[in-house]
Amino acid sequence: MTYLWMPALRIEMWVEAGLLQCFKWGERIHNVQWVALHWRIDVEWWEQRIWRHYYKLVTDTGLLVVVFYDLLTEAWYLQQLYD
Amino acid sequence: MVNYIELHAHSYYSLLDGTASPASLVKQAALLEMPALALTDHNNLYGAVAFQNAAKTAGIQPIFGAEMTLEDDTHLTLLVRNAKGWANLCTLITIAQHHAPKGQASLPLEPLTHHANGLICLTGCRQGAVSQAIQAGELQIAKHLVEQYQAWFGDEYVWVELQHHCLAGDADRLDALVSFAQRHKLNYVATNNVHYPEREQSRLQDVLVCIRNNIPLAEASQFLRPNSEYYLKSGTEMLLNFGDYPDALDNTLAVAAQCDFSIEYGLQELPQYPTPGGMNATEYLRHLCQTSPRFRHPERIEHELHIIENAGLSNYFLVVWDLVRFSREQGIRCQGRGSAANSVVAYLLGISPIDPIEHDLVFERFLSVERQVVPDIDLDFDAALREGVIQYIYERYGTDHAAMACTFITFRSRSAVRDVGKALGIPPVLIDTLASSVDYNSTTGEHIAEKPPQSLLWHQLFDLVEQIKGLPRHLSIHNGGMVMTGTPLTQRLPTEPAAMEGRVVVQWDKESLEDAGLVKIDILGLRMLSAVSQAADAVGADIDNLSFDDPEVFKMVSNADTVGVFQVESRAQMQMLPRFRPQSFQDLIIAISLIRPGPLQGDMVNPYIRRRLGEEPISYFHPILEPALKETLGVVLFQEQVIKVARDMAGFTAGQGELLRRALGKKDATAAIASFKEAFLQGAMAKGVPESIANSVFIKLLGFGSYSFPKSHAASFAVVVYQSAWLRKYHPAPFFAALLNNMPMGFYSPSTVVNDARRHGIKVLPVDINVSEADCTVVNRRTIRLGIHYVKSMGDRAAERLLMGRADTPFVSLEDFCRRARLSERQVEMLIQAGALDSFGERRDLLWQLGNLQLDERLDLDIDDTIELPDLSRIGKLNMEYDALGLSTEDHIMAILREHLAEQSILNSKDLDDIPTGSMIRCAGLVVIRQAPPTAKGFRFLTLEDEFGFINLIVRPQIYETYRRIIRSEQLLVVRGEVQRERSVVNVLAQRVQTIWNSH
Repeated sequence: MTYLWMPALRIEMWVEAGLLQCFKWGERIHNVQWVALHWRIDVEWWEQRIWRHYYKLVTDTGLLVVVFYDLLTEAWYLQQLYD
Repeated sequence: MVNYIELHAHSYYSLLDGTASPASLVKQAALLEMPALALTDHNNLYGAVAFQNAAKTAGIQPIFGAEMTLEDDTHLTLLVRNAKGWANLCTLITIAQHHAPKGQASLPLEPLTHHANGLICLTGCRQGAVSQAIQAGELQIAKHLVEQYQAWFGDEYVWVELQHHCLAGDADRLDALVSFAQRHKLNYVATNNVHYPEREQSRLQDVLVCIRNNIPLAEASQFLRPNSEYYLKSGTEMLLNFGDYPDALDNTLAVAAQCDFSIEYGLQELPQYPTPGGMNATEYLRHLCQTSPRFRHPERIEHELHIIENAGLSNYFLVVWDLVRFSREQGIRCQGRGSAANSVVAYLLGISPIDPIEHDLVFERFLSVERQVVPDIDLDFDAALREGVIQYIYERYGTDHAAMACTFITFRSRSAVRDVGKALGIPPVLIDTLASSVDYNSTTGEHIAEKPPQSLLWHQLFDLVEQIKGLPRHLSIHNGGMVMTGTPLTQRLPTEPAAMEGRVVVQWDKESLEDAGLVKIDILGLRMLSAVSQAADAVGADIDNLSFDDPEVFKMVSNADTVGVFQVESRAQMQMLPRFRPQSFQDLIIAISLIRPGPLQGDMVNPYIRRRLGEEPISYFHPILEPALKETLGVVLFQEQVIKVARDMAGFTAGQGELLRRALGKKDATAAIASFKEAFLQGAMAKGVPESIANSVFIKLLGFGSYSFPKSHAASFAVVVYQSAWLRKYHPAPFFAALLNNMPMGFYSPSTVVNDARRHGIKVLPVDINVSEADCTVVNRRTIRLGIHYVKSMGDRAAERLLMGRADTPFVSLEDFCRRARLSERQVEMLIQAGALDSFGERRDLLWQLGNLQLDERLDLDIDDTIELPDLSRIGKLNMEYDALGLSTEDHIMAILREHLAEQSILNSKDLDDIPTGSMIRCAGLVVIRQAPPTAKGFRFLTLEDEFGFINLIVRPQIYETYRRIIRSEQLLVVRGEVQRERSVVNVLAQRVQTIWNSH
């Protein structure tokens, strides 16, 4: 089962020297173990600009999630959770 | 600071892909403290010269290159190491451009096997063959490709190109490419495939991509880049993605160090003209001068030949002379324009029609010891026959040694609004309204008639339109610039096929060619020469031997009766001529020179006219200057006079005077003239001129010098002014017919020319399918007949079909005509509307019959054609003619409306002749000219036409703002205003403007 949050869930992320450390979701801290993939999009500026840096990452709690950093609002969001 | 040099950057010369000029990229690179920058546009070197100029100014090493598209649609980035590499890149680009349909260059692999020397190969972006093979896991193929590149370019000049744009999969691809490179001991280097200098311009890049693909943004996702990471990044920014491979960034410096090439400037290498009898070029040039039927001024000839020989330009003169000789032999009218008319040699060779001694012209304005660069010799040819000259050049020197210069068609306000609006998905009807309300060259935002509501969309539109204006949209052929080289062109610069079949263009425009010092000869097509030729031939006039002194011709010009006369038909000329009243050829030269942006801006016109009319005393800055300035009554009008002033007052040589003149014309004149001022003052004082006067003269030269006009150019044109005026005066029928056959040219539409001809007693007969030829023809001394071409949709093939159809026997009915001419329904309809079938019946009946004929054919119906149609009204007939011809040979809309207008006391153009100045009147007419000269400070000038002539309107800026929409878009105007009369020139200063339909 995969969860896709639309809209994405606001989360708190801790970053050090450009590296993702951990984030808080569900009253729990998830440490980032490994970033599998990251990519950036900057699209649809003619309607409502979407400028985000996405990370697909694995946590020490066994989650495979997609989070993104919204470069416009400078906030982190949880977008997707893979089963 | 992290070491990084961008080695893969696209400027706006990657047409509809890159957003920025080479100079903007260089500016940004300088800001990022890059010591070098590579320009790698798609399959071209369009921007190479501009790039080098900008890089030189910024103190950055320019690296030339191109991103080549290979035959299999993969990309390869090539950089130039040395001169050999430059020649090879030019050759490869040329092959790629000629190998595929226009705009789809593709390079076969085979030429790379012997044109790789001197080039560096970067394996390309994600569309590169190596990257694609590795992405597909086909490592053997990738290895084979690299080995092939190494065999062609050399091991040390092949670099695996790494890019990372934060796209999904980029990190994996990067790892795979580095791993591949390391395994095979290959060099690798990072690039960013730059398409814009800064992130903010990614939107413009998206829009350009949409314009290229003719698709709105909302539907363009497959064409658009997924993010805005393709900007010129600093080393620090690049390190964010290349943190694991910092050496890929360091290696950019190593690649730059392999490159050591700059475009050499000042090369003047033309094909050698084959001189006869063992003579060298100078000897043959001298021989031609001495044997010229115009031979005179032997001392001056020797002076010129000496300078020409020392500048190494004898061969250049022979090449130009050869073109003139060929065209004369072929009966193609031609003459030089511009500064070449200062040269006696050019006159003796027949290049220029003007004897420079007779007109006191200064050779050094053209060429001097002090300034030995290749001077421009621009040649005007009969436009209709110019192609013959171009083909002669190709035949004589070969297409590998001769090509046309290119030019870039750039986005202007209207095209920008249309293209950007379409990309943003704005409805076409709104775009049309908006585009039509934008002044052609204006700053968009300030000139929208009725500004639309402020919204994000409109904001984006205006913002993007501002950004896109001036960017090149597509490549075109320069209107006459021909480049010729002794060595094959492709060793100097690439060529590509032009849109016009059989034409080849070089990849540099006029400015680049000039900067690089490559010789360009302007082979210009001048429609007036065609008209003069055709009219003179029609009456057998010896037009080249007129004596330029016919009082009747000058009387006609002085009365501003000049519609169709070369150079003196504009509204501004017509305003000036009755005051100036030119009486001689010299006066024509002055008249042409006065109505120019420079003299107008430099406020030379009114002082000259006032002096001419005796309203102001003629004075000179100093008596020593009287010889130089006497011809223009003390006003510095001609560029040649600046040289003479410097000569007479300060003892400058003519060459030094020309250098001073050039310095005065520069944008930043202050620095350029500093060195001349001291020499001028010293020279003047040595001649006994007090320093205060010398200083004051120098300051005046500063004021006038940059606005002056070349007398030599005006003198060449004055010949055509006189010839066209003479033909109009004495042979109006052939002259008007020739004008109509060579439209568009000049200021006026065919409709205005026809109306003017009619006002001068020339009967203009309509098109007749049984009488008209393809072109307009002369029936007798006072009658001409419109040609078939004048009917819309009747092009060459249709006209030929019609003429073939009646070759044996005239058409006898509509049905007969349709059967034998076999034209389309639309073409026949246009001919009927134009009145070309009036001999078969009334137009509306004929249109009805035509419909029946078509239906009979298509549906085999028996249609009742006994229906009676009402007669066509006068205005209905006029509408039809305007629809089909754009003019009427019989009527004028104002004549039809006259009774109605007269009832309202609205005056016509003839009435205005008797109205005293200061009177408030109402007048009306059809708008034939709208002008907003940049020098007029917001004033607009309109010319209205009625059945009797013209009415000149002046519209103040505030009045224009009030009636902007009407003035811009309506054709028939009623104007209330104040009559202003100066001698015989009448203007109406508009106060209220209405459409004719709202007048009451």
